[in-house]
Formats: sequence, structure tokens, C-alpha cells
Amino acid sequence: MDIIDPQSGCSGGAEAVLVDEKFLPEILHQRVTLRGQPDEDAVLCTVSKTYAVKFVGTSNSVFLIPPTDKVSNLCNNKDDNNMVVASVIKVAPGCMELVEVAPKLDKLKLLLSQNPYSFSESSDMDISEEREKTRIGLYRWDDLVDRLQASDKELRMGLQSLSAIEIDGYWRILDDKYMNAILNMLLHNVILNDWSINALNEDEVVGVLETDGFPRNIATHCLQVYCCKVDEGVGLSTTWKLDERRICVHLAREILKEGKMKIEIFMEKWMRRVPDGMHASFDMLEGEVLKEKLGMDTWVYSFSVSSLPSTPAERFSVLFQERAKWEWKDLQPYVRDLKVPGLSSEGLLLKYTRRTQPTMDAEPIFSAR
Amino acid sequence: MQIKVKCSCGEGNCPEWAIVELQGVVQAQPSFENRLQNLQIGVLCRPSSQENYTFTVGYHELTGTKVSLKKPILVLRKIKLRKEEEEGEDDVNSGGVELDVIGVIRHKILFKTRPKALISKPQPAVKEKATAPMVLH
Repeated sequence: MDIIDPQSGCSGGAEAVLVDEKFLPEILHQRVTLRGQPDEDAVLCTVSKTYAVKFVGTSNSVFLIPPTDKVSNLCNNKDDNNMVVASVIKVAPGCMELVEVAPKLDKLKLLLSQNPYSFSESSDMDISEEREKTRIGLYRWDDLVDRLQASDKELRMGLQSLSAIEIDGYWRILDDKYMNAILNMLLHNVILNDWSINALNEDEVVGVLETDGFPRNIATHCLQVYCCKVDEGVGLSTTWKLDERRICVHLAREILKEGKMKIEIFMEKWMRRVPDGMHASFDMLEGEVLKEKLGMDTWVYSFSVSSLPSTPAERFSVLFQERAKWEWKDLQPYVRDLKVPGLSSEGLLLKYTRRTQPTMDAEPIFSAR
Repeated sequence: MQIKVKCSCGEGNCPEWAIVELQGVVQAQPSFENRLQNLQIGVLCRPSSQENYTFTVGYHELTGTKVSLKKPILVLRKIKLRKEEEEGEDDVNSGGVELDVIGVIRHKILFKTRPKALISKPQPAVKEKATAPMVLH
């Protein structure tokens, strides 16, 4: 171990990191990295978790001593008992402590939204090298890892929650119009071909969508987003069934793109759009749609939890900007996905909200601190 | 940006380092400030077979014990990587950085009591030229 050469003094820039025993095997298997941009605080990532790195100083003198079994020949006095010399290579000013944190993934949506995959792109057969270089907002897996502070597993889950798809090595999200078009084509074909919504044959569906002009990988992606696997056919084609909730929510969002509307009008439009054999109910839309009482009428509008920030402070700030006071049953769908290691949901509420209860039997109300 | 953290020692082979911790600061006498390399700090002794230790620095004697760390400490070293030059490209950023785990610390010898001033100077363990008395602040 060259660095412990006492001749060279405090060399090699050894740092001390305080870690739990459980990290050792991960590190030994090369599964730990520090991630972040130069202007960010570094995080340490294992395969599945993210940790903030905090420097904890000490006023004590901490001498770092590497192992040695050398009896130093500094003691050149013959009368000397052969003393073992332990070399101090550094006085450590402190330690780096690791604290588990939620991954920072808001940036992922931002990055992938720079260049969503759209119709114009899918129909463009000519992708010359030159054009590829001038396109901004294209990110490969390694580019995302380079820019985001999250573990591999958390990044994959983030991509999945955005329904992102890897096309030509780049991770893309499909733009709304495109997603809508392909789903409508799928639903249209269900009726046209008299397919069972609970038993869709993958090969058949993908084949039809391809002839309708959608690339094969995107057709398959559509199945993955809007359907659930029923059967992993061994050697045969996989069977899928339409995911009722996902499709109903998508259709509701499409309708509300026009803006706020009276609930009766919304429900009527929605019921008409929902495929036969599916049942839509308003409580499917928790975390997606909000109700507002204006005079005698109730109006509804789109307000999706997926469009909100994922960090608690910012999430609550946006929620209280939208509405000053929330009842728990309305608030819960908009905060239940918040995960802060070490903090329970009660703890989160305590930290970021003010809870009032007008009377004993009244519902508690949450407002900004 | 990614910095890999690895351990080249192999499983179970990570060498165990030691920590000697004391309150306060150890300072070299002014005349020796520029020649810290190989300067003897003091003498560490374990007088009996128990986990009691004495640390003698200059004319101060500290007593302490060996303590197990609740969480082991890893010692990391920064390694600058050199990327291979690519043909025809101006490689401005030559490589990245890696962190190598070079040791594990599971115990420390902690001295947290006031030092005792020894009435007479201890016999220097080595010849004059190799040592200089150090003062504990």
C-alpha cells in the first residue's frame, strides 16, 4: 500500500466516511457511486437507495493510523527495545455521514419533456446523423444517470411512472396528442374487431396498430401502459386486459383539457367515452380531479398529483396555493405518494401543515403553516 | 457526474485501520513546524492486558480506553483516472475520479480525560536527532 509510506507524509488525500456495516458488501461488489452535478451536494447511491452525504466535523484530534507490521528502522539505537512505530497519516477533521433521502427525480420529467416523441417524429423516416446531433433533449440512460441524483432502481421506477419508453437508445416520453391517438386507435379497434377487453392478444393488437401506422415498439408500449398482463403465454402470445382505472382516468383528463365544467356535463361526456364493459366512477379520479362549489353548482377541473413537485415542502406549497384549506379525504390522494425516509405521513403533516378542528365532530382541516 | 466507490481489497480483506482520538490539539514546537514528517508524536502504551491505554506526548500523560465504534468508518482515497486519448479529439477533461476504500475502522482508542503532567521529563526513547518534544494544548 504505497500511500502509507511514512516518507511521503500525509499523502493520498484519505477521507473518512462513517458508514453502516450494511454498506460494506455493496461497496465491495462495486455497486456504490457518488452522483451529482458539480454545483449540487453529492449523494451516495447504492443499487436501490439514495443517501445524502453530510460532513460532521469534530473539535477532537482524530489520528488516522493505517496498519503496519513493520518495526521501524527509525529507532537506530541499539539499546532500544524494538518499538513498533505506527504512522499517523492524517488528522481527520471529521467524518462524512450518510443519511437516506428520497431520490431527486423532478428533474427527470423536465429533461424528458424537452423533446417528447410526437407524430412528426414517428413519420419522419429520414433520421440523418446530422439531424440527430442537432436535436436537443435526447437522453440515454447514462446521460440520465449523469444528471440525476437517484439510484438505478429509483431511476427506473421514475421512468416507469412517467410511462417513458426507450427508442433508439434514448429515453422518451410520448407527447399527449400521440398517446391519446394511439389509445383511441386501440379502443376503436377493440370495437371494430370485437375483441374482448379482458383478453387481448398481444400479437394481434400490435399487428393491427402497426398497420394503422404506429411503430411496433410504441404499440407494445401502449399495451404496457393501458393494460395489465393476464397471461404470460409460454411460446404463445401474451394476453392483456384493459386497465379500467388507467383508461377512465385518461379519458377524464382528455375531456377536462377543455377546462372547468359542471360536474353533470362532465359525467355525461365521460360516460359516453368509456368503453363498453367498463364502469367509471368519480372516486377513480381522486388525485386527478378537484371539485369546486360555485353557487348552486359543482364544477370539476383537472388537478393531477403527477404534475406536482415530489419534494414535500414544494408539494404542500403548491397544494395550499390551489386551496387554502383541505379536508383530509381530499388531501390524502395528493400527499400519500410523498416519501421521506424516516418521516411518517403523520410526521409530514405535522411538519408542513396546520391542523384545525372547529368542533369535536367536525372534520379536521389542514392549512399552511 | 458519477464517482465510483469501490474496494480493491477483495471481500473480507479490507485492512483494519486504527484511530487514536483525543480532545484538543497536538502541536509541534515552533522549531519543528516545517519538519513534521517522521516526527514522533508520542508513545502509546497498554500497561496491562486490559483495554486501558496511556499516551505520552511530551511531558503529558493521557489515559484512555479502546472503544468499539457503533458504525464502522471506511477510509476512502481519491484516485484520479486518466482517460485514454481518443484519436483526433481534443480530450480536455482527462478522466474522472474514483474513490477507493482502503481501510475499515471498527475501534478507536479514545482519550477524554485531562492530561496528567509528568513531574520529570520521560526518558527519550530514541536519540535526540530523531525526536523533538511536543506540547499538548
